[in-house]
Amino acid sequence: MKRVPFLTLLLALPVLAFLGGCKDAPSSGGSNNSVGGKKMTIALLPKSKGNQYFATVEKGARAAAAELGADLLYDGPTNTDPAKQNEIVEGWVNYGVTVIAAACENKEGISAALKAAQDKGIKVVTFDSDTTGDARSFFVNQATAEGIGNTLMDEAARLTGAEGEFAIITATLTASNMNEWRKHIEARLKEKYPKMKLVDTKPCDDQKDKAQQEATNLLSAYPNLKCLMAICSPAVPGAAEAVKQAGKAGAVKVLGLGLPSENKAYVKDGVTQSVILWKVEDLGYLTIKAAAAVAAGTLKAGATEFDAGKIGKMEIQGDNILLGKPFIFNKENIDGFDF
Amino acid sequence: MSKPAPFFKTLLACPEAVLFFVLVAELVFFSAVGRNFNTADNFANIVRHSAEIGLLALVMMPIILTGGIDLSVGSLLGLCAVLFGVFTHEWHIATPLAAALTLVVGAAAGGLNGGLITGLRLPPLIVTLGTFSLFRGLAEAITKGTMTYKDFSPEFLALGRARALGLPYQGWLFITVGIAIGVLVHRTTLGRSFRAIGFSPEGARYAGLPVQRRIALTYVLAGFVAALAALVFTARLRQARADAGSGYELQAITAVVLGGTSIFGGIGTVGGTVLGVACVAVLTTGLKLIPAIALQGIGSELGSLLTGALLIFALASGVLAKSLAARRARRQALSEPQPQPIP
Repeated sequence: MKRVPFLTLLLALPVLAFLGGCKDAPSSGGSNNSVGGKKMTIALLPKSKGNQYFATVEKGARAAAAELGADLLYDGPTNTDPAKQNEIVEGWVNYGVTVIAAACENKEGISAALKAAQDKGIKVVTFDSDTTGDARSFFVNQATAEGIGNTLMDEAARLTGAEGEFAIITATLTASNMNEWRKHIEARLKEKYPKMKLVDTKPCDDQKDKAQQEATNLLSAYPNLKCLMAICSPAVPGAAEAVKQAGKAGAVKVLGLGLPSENKAYVKDGVTQSVILWKVEDLGYLTIKAAAAVAAGTLKAGATEFDAGKIGKMEIQGDNILLGKPFIFNKENIDGFDF
Repeated sequence: MSKPAPFFKTLLACPEAVLFFVLVAELVFFSAVGRNFNTADNFANIVRHSAEIGLLALVMMPIILTGGIDLSVGSLLGLCAVLFGVFTHEWHIATPLAAALTLVVGAAAGGLNGGLITGLRLPPLIVTLGTFSLFRGLAEAITKGTMTYKDFSPEFLALGRARALGLPYQGWLFITVGIAIGVLVHRTTLGRSFRAIGFSPEGARYAGLPVQRRIALTYVLAGFVAALAALVFTARLRQARADAGSGYELQAITAVVLGGTSIFGGIGTVGGTVLGVACVAVLTTGLKLIPAIALQGIGSELGSLLTGALLIFALASGVLAKSLAARRARRQALSEPQPQPIP
C-alpha cells in the first residue's frame, strides 16, 4: 500500500487554503452596515454562557432585538475564558456583524480584538464590565458606586427607623470597588442619618462560611446591633444564616448586595429584608437598544440622555450610559425573578 | 494477484487520504454556505486560533508514536506563560532573553516528565496526569490565581497579530515546526526509532536502540514546544494568566489520533497530524459562520459535537477498511482456481 508522502500533504495544505483565501472579503462594509435597508446584526458577548445572570441579560436582549427587528447573535465561553471571548469576537468581525456588545472578562483581555473590530467599521459598546476606553464607544453601566452606596445606606435607614448600630461585611478590605461603595455609604451616613452608628467593618474573603462566622462574632460583640449590611454577594446568605441561628431573625435586619436567587429562602423566612441589585433583564434590553442606536448613528459621543423605549430615559455621564437606580428585591417581589 | 487494489479501498485504508478529502469537503461546504468563509481574514483567523493547539499536536505526535501520552502540555503552556510574565515584569529581563529562558524552562519541565517516565519506569499517563496538576498548580500559586501580566512590548505582541505574506506569524511558526518534526520523524534514524519503539519496545531494545533516552527526548521536545506555544498564546491574548491553555492537551491528542496516529504507538505520520489539526480548525470556525447556526448561538457546542463524530468516523473507517480487505482476500483465495495436479 502506497502512502501519500507527508511533505506533499504538508505543502498542499497552505496552498489549498491560499486558493480559498484568494477571493477577498467584500471589505466588510457593503454587505451589512445597513441601517435603513438591510437587517442589522447585533452580537452580544456574555462573560460566560453558563451563568444565570447572563441568561437573564439575554432574555432582555432578545426582547429588544425583536422590537428592533434586528438579528441577535448571542455566544460566549461556557466558563469565563478571555481566550474564547477573543476567538468569538474575531469570528464575528469576519462574519460581518453591525455592532458588538461585550461584557469583558477583564479590562485588557479582548480590547485588542474590539479595537480591530472598530477598525473594520464595526461599532462596539460594552456592558456589565468595561474594556479600555478606546476600544468601545459607550459602556452601559449597570450601577455607579454612588448609586449602590446610597441605596444600601438609605435602605438600611428605612429598615431600622434611621437609628441604632449597624455593621458592614465586605469581601476584603482592599477590594477597590467595595471600598468605593463604602466611601459612599459612609458619606451618606454622615450627611443624612446622624442617629445611626457604623460600629465595625469585617472582611469575609468572598466566602459564605467566613461571612457567617464574622456575622456571629459581630452579633455577640455588639448586642445592640440593629442591622447587618453585606456588600459582597456570598456575605448576604452568610449573614442571614448567622442571624437565623442566633435566633435574632427580624430583630437584626439583614440587607445586602447579591443575587435574588441566592437569598430567596432567607427573604421568605423574614431573615433577610432586602436584596439589592439592578434589574438584570433591563440591562440586556438597554444594552441592545444602545448598541443599535450607536450603529444607526442616533446615539453619539456627547449625548447626555438616551431614550431606551419601554424602560424609560437613561442618563449618560461621559461615555457611561447609566441603567439608573439599583433595584430592591424584597418579600413582595422576589418571586418574580429567577437569576 | 498483481491486479491493483481498487482505488477507494486504498483510500479508506489510508487515514491521511480520508482526512484530506474530509478537509476538501469542509472547505467546499463552508465556502458555499458560510458567510465570509472564503476570505483571507477568515483564513488568518483559523490559523491564529488553532496555532497553539497545532503546535502541541505536532509534538504530541512523536510521543504517541512511541506509545506514550502527555497530558501535561496544556498546563505547561499556562505555567510557561506565567513564567514569561514573571521574567519580563518582575525580573525585568529583556523580552528576547525572557523568551529564551521560558523555552529552557519548558524543555526542563518536559525533561521532568521524561525523567520520571524513563527513570522510574512509571506509566506516562500517570506521570503526566501528576504534572498536569503540578504545572497548573504552580502557575496558580505564582499568580495567586488572580494576577494577570499585561503590557508586553509591541514587537512581541506582533507575534500574535501580524502577518507576513498573508499568513499570520504563528502560521509560519507552525509550518517551520511541522517541517522540523516531519523531517525528524520520517527522515532521520533518530526519529524513525520512535516508530520502532512504539511498534515493539522489546524489539527496539534488542535491536540496540537506547529506548529510554529516545522516549525521554520526545517529552523534552514537547516541553520545549509547549513553551513556544505559551509565547504565541501570550502574544495573541496580550496577557499571561494561569488558566492559559486549559484543555488544550485533549484537543492536541484529538488532532493526533484523528490524523491516523495509533494511540498504541507504532503507526502514524506527521502529515496526518497536520491534516487532523486543519480538519478540526476549519470545522469549528466554519460552523460559526453559517448564519442559521450563528443565530442559534450553538456554533461552539456543535463544533465539539461534530469533532467527536469526525474522530469516531475516522477511526471506524480505518477498521472497516481493514475488515473489508480481509474478507475480500479470503473470498479471492477461495475462488482462485486450484492448481491441477499433472496427470
